[in-house]
Amino acid sequence: MTRFVFMWEKMSDTNSSMAMKRSASTGSSAVSTETIEALTELDELERVYQQLCEEETQVDSELEALISQRGNIETKMLALQRMGPNLQLIEGDASQLSGMITFTCSLAENVSSKVRQLDLAKNRLYQAIQRADDILDLKFCTDGVQTALRNEDYEQAAAHVHRYLSLDQSVIELSRQGGESSAVDASLALLQEAEQRLKALVKERLDQAIADGDLAQVERFFKIFPLLGLHDQGLARFAQYLCTQLASKAEENLLLALGGELGERRAALIFADTLTLLLEGIARIVETHQPIVETYYGPGHLYTLIKHLQVECDRQAEKVVEKFILQRDYHNKFQIVQSSMMRSVSTEKMEPRELDPVLLEVIVMNARAELYLRFLRRRITADFEVGDATSPKATVQEHQQSLEKLLKHCLLSRNMQELIGYYIPMEEYYMRESFNKAVAMDTYEKGQLTSSMVDDCFYIVKKCISRALSSSSIDCLCAMINHSTSVLESDFREVLYNKLRQGFPATTLQDIQRGVSSAVSLMQSSLQQGKFNTLGIESAEDAKASFLVTLNNVEVCSENIITLKKNLESDCAKLFSQGFGSGEQAQAKIDSCLSDLVCTSSKFKDLLQEGLTELNNTAIKPQVKPWISNFLSISHNIEEEEFNEYEANDPWVQQFIVNLEQLMSEFKAGLSPVIYDTLTSLMTSLISLEMEKAVFKCTFSRLGGLQFDKELRSLVAYLTTVTTWTIRDKFARLTQMATILNLERVTEILDYWGPNSGPLTWRLTPAEVRQVLALRIDFRKSSALIWLCHCCHGQLEVRLEQVVTDGQSGGIGVGGVHTDAVGVWAGIHGFRTENWRQLEDSVNRPTNLGLDTLTTCRRCRPAL
Amino acid sequence: MNVLCLFAGPGLILGEIPIFAMLLSMEDYDYLFKIVLIGNAGVGKTCLVRRFTQGLFPPGQGATIGVDFMIKTVEIKGQKIKLQIWDTAGQERFRSITQSYYRSANALILTYDITCEDSFRCLPEWLREIEQYANNKVVTVLVGNKIDLAERREVSRQRAEEFSEAQSMHYLETSAKESDNVEKLFLDLACELIREAKQNALVNNEASPMPGEGKTISYLNCCSFS
Ligand SMILES: Nc1nc2c(ncn2[C@@H]2O[C@H](COP(=O)(O)OP(=O)(O)OP(=O)(O)O)[C@@H](O)[C@H]2O)c(=O)[nH]1
Ligand SMILES: [Mg+2]
Repeated sequence: MTRFVFMWEKMSDTNSSMAMKRSASTGSSAVSTETIEALTELDELERVYQQLCEEETQVDSELEALISQRGNIETKMLALQRMGPNLQLIEGDASQLSGMITFTCSLAENVSSKVRQLDLAKNRLYQAIQRADDILDLKFCTDGVQTALRNEDYEQAAAHVHRYLSLDQSVIELSRQGGESSAVDASLALLQEAEQRLKALVKERLDQAIADGDLAQVERFFKIFPLLGLHDQGLARFAQYLCTQLASKAEENLLLALGGELGERRAALIFADTLTLLLEGIARIVETHQPIVETYYGPGHLYTLIKHLQVECDRQAEKVVEKFILQRDYHNKFQIVQSSMMRSVSTEKMEPRELDPVLLEVIVMNARAELYLRFLRRRITADFEVGDATSPKATVQEHQQSLEKLLKHCLLSRNMQELIGYYIPMEEYYMRESFNKAVAMDTYEKGQLTSSMVDDCFYIVKKCISRALSSSSIDCLCAMINHSTSVLESDFREVLYNKLRQGFPATTLQDIQRGVSSAVSLMQSSLQQGKFNTLGIESAEDAKASFLVTLNNVEVCSENIITLKKNLESDCAKLFSQGFGSGEQAQAKIDSCLSDLVCTSSKFKDLLQEGLTELNNTAIKPQVKPWISNFLSISHNIEEEEFNEYEANDPWVQQFIVNLEQLMSEFKAGLSPVIYDTLTSLMTSLISLEMEKAVFKCTFSRLGGLQFDKELRSLVAYLTTVTTWTIRDKFARLTQMATILNLERVTEILDYWGPNSGPLTWRLTPAEVRQVLALRIDFRKSSALIWLCHCCHGQLEVRLEQVVTDGQSGGIGVGGVHTDAVGVWAGIHGFRTENWRQLEDSVNRPTNLGLDTLTTCRRCRPAL
Repeated sequence: MNVLCLFAGPGLILGEIPIFAMLLSMEDYDYLFKIVLIGNAGVGKTCLVRRFTQGLFPPGQGATIGVDFMIKTVEIKGQKIKLQIWDTAGQERFRSITQSYYRSANALILTYDITCEDSFRCLPEWLREIEQYANNKVVTVLVGNKIDLAERREVSRQRAEEFSEAQSMHYLETSAKESDNVEKLFLDLACELIREAKQNALVNNEASPMPGEGKTISYLNCCSFS
């Protein structure tokens, strides 16, 4: 087909081009006959003739070309003729196809309309059957209900009425209008009458059964109510029955509780027990009767039943609570507590121990109520979930809200909230009073690090918070955490703070007791001992011990608070995992209160720090300083002979170490390892600082430097053994000073400083390095001081050799030549060459000499 | 409270990282304040909090049980302020629970209902509670709520203003329902608390103020309650 069309196009193309050519050739004859006839001149004639001849040859050639195409065209025409029959065949096929399609279409149209009709017919048929069924049912029900009523088969009767009620009322209406109207009418009237009769009967019988307390009958008629569409009435009546049962049992229990002779253990919790019995009873009722309700009333009706039960529960619980308040003198106790908390000095104080039982009982009551309410929540929620599976969102929400309202605002809850409202101040009182007692009765035994009050106080905090926790009330727990935070942070911290404020006694007694001083002071001590009575000595000892114990106490407090928080966190996690507390909110509340609690821990840490600083200042510093001053009395400007003698008889460091050991032994024994460690760290800082000062006041020879290096090594080695902190860092500066003082020649410093320093990090500034170098007598005399470039730490060599007179200031000064050729720089400030010491001082304070510009080498300051 | 903790971290000698640096890097805020709402039952405390934190006026709001807790972080002048809002129950039986929150509160919002004379007359009693339990540095704001019910007003604005002036409290009238002044109440309060915190920090760090502080920050005219 495609091929065919293509050929056809080609052919039409050739034809049109031929036609065009033809017309072009006729039109192109430039000379018309008239023009020829009008010609007169020969020239003209010849020209025209010529022209015509040319035209003729052109036409001839065109003709020839056309004729030559003839064969080609004929072949094509032949092909065309051969195709003719094919085309006719196709046309026939096409029209046949079209006919078939039209036929099929109309056929389909036909069939589908029939199907539609069929569908309609089927629907009508169904409806007709339904209606026939309904009418049959109606008749069946009418007959059945009569028989059933006659036989007192109420279940059967109710089933018939139920069937009737579930019939499509509009259908019944239609039937009445139909031919059978009278029969249907009669049935309906009978049925309606039977329905009313049955309703009245069933109500009456149920009421009777309730009055008789006949559970079997109650259940029997209870099941019939939903069949009659009387769900709410049935539930109300059933609940009424259950409530009566509940009430009589509860009253019996309360009477027993009030009058019975019980063991002491049971007596202490009798109201909590009675309440528990009541709540357990209700839970059991729900447990037992939920299946009936579910089966006969369907899901979603448990709430209604429980709402009715809760009324009785509230009534009975209130009675128990009332009796509890009365018998336990609860309000009165609260009043006493309240007034004694208002006025710190109160006439009537209550022993905290007296509150123990009543506090416990309240907590148990609340815990039981929470447990019970959680049970109700779980049951009702589950029941609603099934019932509301297809309900709109609004209904679900409404149900949720009414559940919340029932649980949170029921009288039982309110009663419990009230009890807890009184409980909290009483528990707070209990805690504060017990705290005061623990503090007042604080004792510590020799060899013990902490005193009794820390353990006691934390025992009390734990006890109070645990009690609050076991109430299962998050708000109650939070309130007690808040109070504990407050008591720990203000009251208890204050107690410890005041103890620390009395200070660590720093008297000469220390020396006497220790007996470390010289023979002279020993003599003095024996003299003085006569003056001091033993009481004085003892009280000073006591004061010291008390200070150290308090430090330990503070530290333990800070640790205990952290532990307490952690334990509470896991306790609460347990509580939440059991479904107490309403989700995130409760968690957030607890977290916030706990984070406040743990904040107090760092406040105790601060207090510890203050105490340690105080101890360091009053007990360690005054002792250590003179020991270090002794270092100054040992010459370090020594020769071989003295060096050897020092070697044989250590002049300072061993004694220093012994002294330190003795000084610290008291603290080591009296302080917890952690605090002792911190204290030794403070002490080592002090020693390194004081040593540094001492070294700068000393002068050294080469061997003196070596001696110092040895001494420092011994000291560091010793201190490393007494503390876990790294000493090296604290002594880095001193170690570097020793290195400098221990140099053979001054230029060796360049092996350590500047580009050669390698991994060594200098803790000394260039000025300090110079200062230390200058401590070496021999370096200082050796006419050369090393100055180091501030910038690149390269060497600046300055020779102090030239004495110059300064014309302007009139003084005599020192001239130095900077090898970097900075120039002559000194002499303007009038230092005398002889006064090396003063020169050094100036040199060490570069600004005195205007050295800022000079201590940077020329490479770093090309401008100079 | 936390803010104050920031500047009183454990001593350096223990070799710990300064606690404030840790706190700032862990928690995404510059300041944390505790605000506690108190006042008679039904004056609209919960509605005020819900309006501020959730932007809605809850229909059929039931009485609060115990305390409710909400958090909202606001930004003031580029600083993130985390507000911990404790909404307490006004009913008498919850008093002992709510009292335990006073001490750690940075601010108290004492609320009454302008259409309820009774709630106004209870204010002195509430002030006594504050006196007894709260921190003496606490900032207190008096709020008269429900101004949308103007026709039922029982406490005149002037009376309330005089009262708050005598007690040197800030005073603001709000409507949780119409969202009047609710945002302003909390934001102004936050500003005031920042100002106090900065002053405290300065007092605590007299010797060495934080680098860059003290010079650049102007404490005046941050916000005002007028
Ligand atoms: N018209 C109006 N009604 C308000 C406003 N604020 C609260 N209410 C209504 O006052 C009633 C009590 O509001 P709540 O927010 O529950 O009061 P509350 O102070 O939290 O009460 P407690 O939790 O019991 O202490 C509710 O019915 C609110 O709808 C307000 O600004 N305007
Ligand atoms: Mg509320």
